[in-house]
Amino acid sequence: MRLFLPALFLLPLTSVLAADATKETVKEQFAKRAARLWSLQPVVKPAIPTGTPSKNPIDAFIAADYKAKGLVPVAKADKLTLLRRVYLDLIGIPPTPAEQDAFLADTAPDAYEKIVERLLENEQHGVRWSRYWLDVLRYADLDGLDGSVMPASAGIYLWREWLMTALNHDMPYDQFVRAQILGNRYRPETATSTSGRRTRVEGSAEDSFALGFLARAAVTRNDKDHDIPFAAVETVSTAFMGMTVGCAKCHDHKFDPITQQDFYAMKAIFDPLVLKNVMLATPAEIFSNGQKQDDFKKKSAPINAAIEALTEPFRNRLYNERIAQLTPEIQATIRKPERDRTPAEQKIFDDYYPVLRIDTDKIKEVMSKDEIAQYNALLKQQRAIVRPPGLASYSTIEEDADLLKQKSYVLTTGDITKPEKDHPVEPGFPFQPANMDFRDGRRQAFVEWLTASQNPLFARVAVNRIWGWHFGEGLQRVTSDFGLLGGKPSNPKLLDYLASEFISHDYSMKWLHRLIVTSDTYQLSSKVEPRQLTKNIAADARNTYLWHFRLQRLAAEPIWDSIHFAADDLDLTVGGKSFQLSAADQKQKIFLPKDGTTDTARTNRRGVYMVRGYIPSTDVMNNFLNSFDVDDGRTPCPVRTQTVTAPQALFTMNGDLVNQESEKLASVVLKESAGDVHQAVTAAYQRTLARKPSGTELDYALTYIEKNPDRMKELTWLLFNLDEFIYVR
Amino acid sequence: MSDLSKLYPCGKIARRRFLYQSAAGFMGSALSSLWADEGKLMQDARLPGTPKAKSVIFLFMCGGVSHIDTFDPKDNKHAGKIMDAIGFGDNNAPMKRPVIPILRTFQQYGKSGIPVSDWFPNVGGTIDDIAVVRSMYCHQTNHFPAVLEGATGKPLRQFEHPCLGSWVSYALGTANKDLPTFVNMGRPSSPVQLSGGYLGSSYSATPFQPGDVPIPNLLPPKGSSSRQRDREMHALFEMDRQFRADYAIESEIAGRTRSFELAASMMMKAPAIVDFSTEPDHVKEMYGIGEKETDDFGRQLLLARRLSENGVRFIQICHAGGGNGAWDSHADMKAHAPLCRAVDKPISGLIRDLKQRGMLDSTLVVFTSEFGRTPWSQNTTGRDHNAMGFSTLLAGGGVKGGIIEGATDDVGYRAVDKPHYISDLQSTILKQMGLNYKKMDFVLNGRPFHLVEEGLGPIDAILS
Repeated sequence: MRLFLPALFLLPLTSVLAADATKETVKEQFAKRAARLWSLQPVVKPAIPTGTPSKNPIDAFIAADYKAKGLVPVAKADKLTLLRRVYLDLIGIPPTPAEQDAFLADTAPDAYEKIVERLLENEQHGVRWSRYWLDVLRYADLDGLDGSVMPASAGIYLWREWLMTALNHDMPYDQFVRAQILGNRYRPETATSTSGRRTRVEGSAEDSFALGFLARAAVTRNDKDHDIPFAAVETVSTAFMGMTVGCAKCHDHKFDPITQQDFYAMKAIFDPLVLKNVMLATPAEIFSNGQKQDDFKKKSAPINAAIEALTEPFRNRLYNERIAQLTPEIQATIRKPERDRTPAEQKIFDDYYPVLRIDTDKIKEVMSKDEIAQYNALLKQQRAIVRPPGLASYSTIEEDADLLKQKSYVLTTGDITKPEKDHPVEPGFPFQPANMDFRDGRRQAFVEWLTASQNPLFARVAVNRIWGWHFGEGLQRVTSDFGLLGGKPSNPKLLDYLASEFISHDYSMKWLHRLIVTSDTYQLSSKVEPRQLTKNIAADARNTYLWHFRLQRLAAEPIWDSIHFAADDLDLTVGGKSFQLSAADQKQKIFLPKDGTTDTARTNRRGVYMVRGYIPSTDVMNNFLNSFDVDDGRTPCPVRTQTVTAPQALFTMNGDLVNQESEKLASVVLKESAGDVHQAVTAAYQRTLARKPSGTELDYALTYIEKNPDRMKELTWLLFNLDEFIYVR
Repeated sequence: MSDLSKLYPCGKIARRRFLYQSAAGFMGSALSSLWADEGKLMQDARLPGTPKAKSVIFLFMCGGVSHIDTFDPKDNKHAGKIMDAIGFGDNNAPMKRPVIPILRTFQQYGKSGIPVSDWFPNVGGTIDDIAVVRSMYCHQTNHFPAVLEGATGKPLRQFEHPCLGSWVSYALGTANKDLPTFVNMGRPSSPVQLSGGYLGSSYSATPFQPGDVPIPNLLPPKGSSSRQRDREMHALFEMDRQFRADYAIESEIAGRTRSFELAASMMMKAPAIVDFSTEPDHVKEMYGIGEKETDDFGRQLLLARRLSENGVRFIQICHAGGGNGAWDSHADMKAHAPLCRAVDKPISGLIRDLKQRGMLDSTLVVFTSEFGRTPWSQNTTGRDHNAMGFSTLLAGGGVKGGIIEGATDDVGYRAVDKPHYISDLQSTILKQMGLNYKKMDFVLNGRPFHLVEEGLGPIDAILS
């Protein structure tokens, strides 16, 4: 195994730049930029500061900041607040009343640690955390431009399922990334046969689902517009390198040491990729489907023949009338038999196809009444024979041998029709070490460099992302930009400590989750008493140094899940196709595509399965997702917008869903408490806010509903509308 | 301090929270983007003086109105001639196509004597209040790309570009406390016409419609009484009290309080706005309400006027949207006739009504589509897409009436005299709203984006 040093000063001078004097300046200038950029310096594991009672190193590093800034942290959160926080954080659904009671009763010193262990083993953990990666890696069920829809759409949910499985199995992060770029989570292995022939050993079959990440980028048939390589550069660089290489598509990067040449060199790594459709069926299904298609053909053949016999004379007449309107030269071209046409003539023929096509309504216009009736009857029969659905499949990618031989070029303004023939590029990437060898595979060589422990960006970017998802903000705030504009981390030593330990712990994400959520820092209260803490506020008003836990609004998916879960109405099935809301959503009722690509039957599944995406003609995003700040998945989204808007309030106040779940929750708690209204109110609080009501709250609730069980649904409605319900304390 | 929100690749962050904590200090008053009322973001872009237009009513005909059959008459001397044409869509192939005759009759209207076809007799009656720009053009030749171009000023959606209405909301903020700033009625050709994109979802269009439920979730499903609603809101306030006291320091929580207040006041106000019972019959009649063909659009336009009266800044109405749009008359120009009838009377009614109320001077009405239609057919009796030349009408809001700007060539194919790129319409609208288009930018990944990146700027010739 070759080791790659973070060769910051060996900038990519792959080919044409060397001799050019003016470019030399760019090179020097960019070398200086690289030398100054903190994120490109090697990760050095710092010593853990001493003098902190906590055994968790995170607290030691954080305490050092407290000391330096004169900050006093707030107290620890109470047990139930912490329980709800860690449940929503790790699995995205709140603790049940029984789990709350059990935790309160468990006085063992490791009671909290046991909970954390259990949550990390819960299969809903992968469901919850997949959504963060889906945002960053721009998952979408549908995406398309004018008249085209992403070819990978049908099986793309399998990539999501792969993500969930990988997270649940604690797949090491380097393998997690490797699988999504290579389709093989393991390092390339070769086998030598007895005859001396060397072949590459195939990886785990499920990893081809991971390539949905790359396949998803295509939005035209056969990736006509080369979206895969473009999106690969943009997404891989921001997601895994924390570098906005995409900015160098049309010009050298304005701030970071990345040239336009680098962009196209990195694109060349992905240029040979093509989509590959893989069937998902057993031999028995394939045989049976073939039989059904046969039957369909047999049944429709006589009707099709009858239609043809009836319409042919009319069609020919109209066709000839139309051709007669054309210029003589064009007429001649069109009338030529296909095999006699030159390619140029064939082009003319193709261009005229829409003009000369004779549609059904045009034929009917020239038919007699009787003929129309006959035609309609036949069409009705034709429609009655339904074509059997094709076999399920999914899209992955593979390297095309012919494309592999083609040269890549810089493209003017990223236009694939404008290659700059005088600027060819070899495969490469920003910050590439000298003498890279791509002969064993372009992506393989790149991924070796990317995932190498010496790469200063790889582990740093990952741990910072995960930290940010726990705390609502990364140590380096702009989690996908470790360049100049991204700023510097608030606690660089902690970041480097976590990065180096992440590597030593075999890139275990669960290890990192555990370390973070068991730290004292994570367990601090979110409540700030301003009078007592004027000093803290003066020193660090925005809580950069984490002297209290940040109050966080729940994202759309956990809000959706919590509402359903409270009423025992959440379908927790892991995986499967995405679902689309229909009747429940007024906006979608207007826009709902009727093509049956999604599941509208079970809309009480977890929010992560809700259809996302964008197509020009149809609004894919439902009203709920839009109101609660979910992106359409067209661009990587490392951090969601967090708005507080009136439509959100209207959703919980007046939406059908909340009203329906309020009733369900009311009947659940009344049934459980066998009609005891006191107990029912308590249970309703526990199911929504994960705590019991205070005496005052209980009294208020009972007075409000006049101890009338029929009015319990008014109380449950109120609970769903509380700030406390959609915030994590 | 630079605005951190501008650094995220997806262009978004808790913008409100950040502004609050950095600018207003930790304890400052809540600054909230509930209905995008933080127009202060673009103070630099304000033009000096009082803006001419307080609101815009933007009428978008989905699919492409034939300019030569409506507001840009041509004689039929070229009819039957085979022209060198460019096919639309992916092909963009040069081909030969026959010019088809214009079957409309045109009449000169008003003092200005501007000719208008028999498809728009009512609009003809108000032509002295209208500026007809006959020389619009754009680059994209198919529906979605052209709609995108018209909405965002960019022929490609490489980023989540926001649309015109969102930019207006972002730059100006709200002029009222009970209603959204940017409203859309009718199904658009594309969701990009509603999208706040990288400016944030607060700036997206709020879908509105005439009828009992103008906004999604506006009313409780089973219509609880207002007394009960009051009681519920009071209880909610009580039950939130402790939490809000504990987190008074968080601006978001103050924002939550306001979001509920706003939702509640909208619930009060919006039903009154959609309630037309206070409108006298003769006004409804002006809009064609009650007549089968004009009722839908008439109601939308009357609602537009009422929203404009209530301080909604940008009211977009998409007509005949969905798919390519019903105005897309390839097969036969006759398909235009019912669409013209559906909009003609309501539009003239809107202009007359605004005028009699003295609102026309401060309300800019725009009538456009993504492109026009070609002089030739695809061997049918309909017309193909024409991005090279088409007409847009403007009225009110400081626009001169009764004038014509620019011209297309002899057959109505290419804008030849004073051609205006689609962005010139945007910069004209922005100018009348008191905004300098050159200074409206949003920095994404260190790169500034503008709504208007091409064209000549506002069409000053039509502005008074």
